[in-house]
Amino acid sequence: METSSKLQAESLKIHRSGKEVLSGISFSVNSSEVYALLGGNGAGKSTTLLSFLGFLTPSGGRVTVNGVSVADNLQAARKAIAYLPESASLYEHLDAYENLRYFLELARVSFDDSALDAALDRVSLNPDARARRLKDYSKGMRQKVAIALAILRDTDILLLDEPTSGLDPSAIDEFHDLARNLADSGKTLLMVTHDVYGACQVADRIGLLRRGQLVGEFSAPDGGRIETDTVHRAFSDSESGKARVT
Amino acid sequence: MTAVLTIAKDEWRFWLRSKLALAVVAVFALVLVAVSLLTGLRMHAEAHARAGHQADSEETFLAQPDRHPHRMVHYGHYVFRSPAPLAMFDPGLDSVTGQAMFLEGHRQNSATFSAAAASADAGGLTWLTPALVYQVFAPLLIIVLGHGAVVRERESRALAPLLAQGLSGRTLLAGKALALSLFAALLLTPLVVSAAVSLGSGESLLAAASLVGVYLLYLLVWAGLTLLVSSALEKRATVIAGLAASWLAITLVLPAVAVNVSSRAAPLAGKIETDLTMLTEERDLGDGHDVDDSVYDKLQAELLEEYGVQRVKDLDINIRGILAEMAEAKLTNTLNVYADRRMQAERRQARVLVQHGWLTPALAVATASRALSGTDLDHYHRFLQQAEALRIDFVQGLNRAHAEELTYIDDINRNRDAASWERARVDAANWQVLDEFRFETASAGQRLSNAGSTITMLMTWLVALAIALGWQSGRLRP
Repeated sequence: METSSKLQAESLKIHRSGKEVLSGISFSVNSSEVYALLGGNGAGKSTTLLSFLGFLTPSGGRVTVNGVSVADNLQAARKAIAYLPESASLYEHLDAYENLRYFLELARVSFDDSALDAALDRVSLNPDARARRLKDYSKGMRQKVAIALAILRDTDILLLDEPTSGLDPSAIDEFHDLARNLADSGKTLLMVTHDVYGACQVADRIGLLRRGQLVGEFSAPDGGRIETDTVHRAFSDSESGKARVT
Repeated sequence: MTAVLTIAKDEWRFWLRSKLALAVVAVFALVLVAVSLLTGLRMHAEAHARAGHQADSEETFLAQPDRHPHRMVHYGHYVFRSPAPLAMFDPGLDSVTGQAMFLEGHRQNSATFSAAAASADAGGLTWLTPALVYQVFAPLLIIVLGHGAVVRERESRALAPLLAQGLSGRTLLAGKALALSLFAALLLTPLVVSAAVSLGSGESLLAAASLVGVYLLYLLVWAGLTLLVSSALEKRATVIAGLAASWLAITLVLPAVAVNVSSRAAPLAGKIETDLTMLTEERDLGDGHDVDDSVYDKLQAELLEEYGVQRVKDLDINIRGILAEMAEAKLTNTLNVYADRRMQAERRQARVLVQHGWLTPALAVATASRALSGTDLDHYHRFLQQAEALRIDFVQGLNRAHAEELTYIDDINRNRDAASWERARVDAANWQVLDEFRFETASAGQRLSNAGSTITMLMTWLVALAIALGWQSGRLRP
């Protein structure tokens, strides 16, 4: 079924260990869009991502990927998504090439070695570092390899969990450029973050999540960026429980 | 299938790049090779020595000069149990049961040692053998290498992207299982070498191959258990603690508990009380050395009637030899009743012990290993039975010579003077009644059959773990 919403949460409720973590949130992410779910610790951001991957079963509502319920076709959802967990999780005993080959083989994606270099070029990973094992990599370098993997898998959708956490400022800028670049080339990005500034830099829309509830949503004006101050104020108010932002 | 191989290959790549893993494997390999070599050499020397002693004993018996035949009955003869070819891998009860037995008339001697201890032995740590290394230490190696198989992925957060890109938990666990299984198979290399060497010493291919198969099953059980714990628990420390506790329970605690339980559930009668009861019964059988013992009055009357004579000295045969033969037969029947009773009690106790293999695969594999190697309780009993068969055969052969080769008159007058003493001897050619003794192990088919129940236990363990892993693979989460 064709739809412009690549990802959709409809009245999504999630319970973990008997506790309600998401309380019926609804939002959608459209094609070629960068959507940032912004919230503090325990807001339910990562839980939302995991529910799109089928790792958590909704206790109410549903999630869809490309218009298909994840509960109905889990494998199709996973095939369509590239997931980058917080602190890009690759194998330290392998170098960049070996990591890419391993994940791609398991994803049954055909590739040649020149494609690996092309993807690593695109994320600007230093060629001298590529044959070194990841145990010697910085967090930013690992992040680049993980994004290169997402590029090589050529999925429509990328789910990013705290993608800039722990990165130095220049690496954050590089990431933002890359994220925009990916969205412009037709990819759909859903990222969760507690970085207000970063979210405003890169996102087309921002959803504000607080204690399992979507308490606000912001959209970028045409050709512009979401205003950081507005979001920052709303975020602070929401965290202190002062107001609901609309 | 390609994904399974890819995962298995990467697991091996991880091990090969891990200094800790390589160091542990190297130490284990060194220990195993050293123990295999030392045990092999030791058992080879034992076999050689026992065969030499056996030949010497036979030569000495046959070299005895002309004598009174009953002196040869009491002169007696030693038999030695040669270790089976696979004893170089698993000496089993060899170290705790007697290997030599003195055979003589009117007695069934013990093989130097308490059989009760043998039946309840579960493999002490006093003597490190290749079998013990495999039973106790090889699982540790599988744990060291395999404990992180899944929990490592989870802790490093690599599990989430793997599953998120459509890899199923079943495929992931299958790949890890394949890697660990190949490692388990590789661990068997020294055993395969021992088995091949045993073929050169006359062991059957079926027994040797079955022994390798049994240990493969055992190590696969450990691989399955390791993988199950690694995939079910979330923290590496918890996984290590869980596996260490399992190792302690399965290889050390439960086998020891099983020995205690079986000793209580199927106790053996004490040797002293048994011997006293047996002696009472022996007295009722009469004294075969005494022609005038009233117990033999009926026999004497029958013989006189059969030969148509009035007096014992007129018989064509020596009644003392006939009485000795008859008394030995009756005594042996009584002794055999007690021996059978004791063996049955030991087997009963062993059966109770073996049932604990449902709880601990270490006990199951130890029992199967001994059965296939020909070093178990059954083979100890076979030794006793074969030795007894030889004893009664040569003793009765000598009694027959006593009856037929020596006259009654010469016999009863043997202490009168030197000439009488000389006349009371029979030709040394009569000592040829002694057959060669070569301990025969059960056939490979019989040994495999004896190990059948414990092999079933190991297979049940493996199937149960495979089912548990299949179930776990369906609920694998980052």
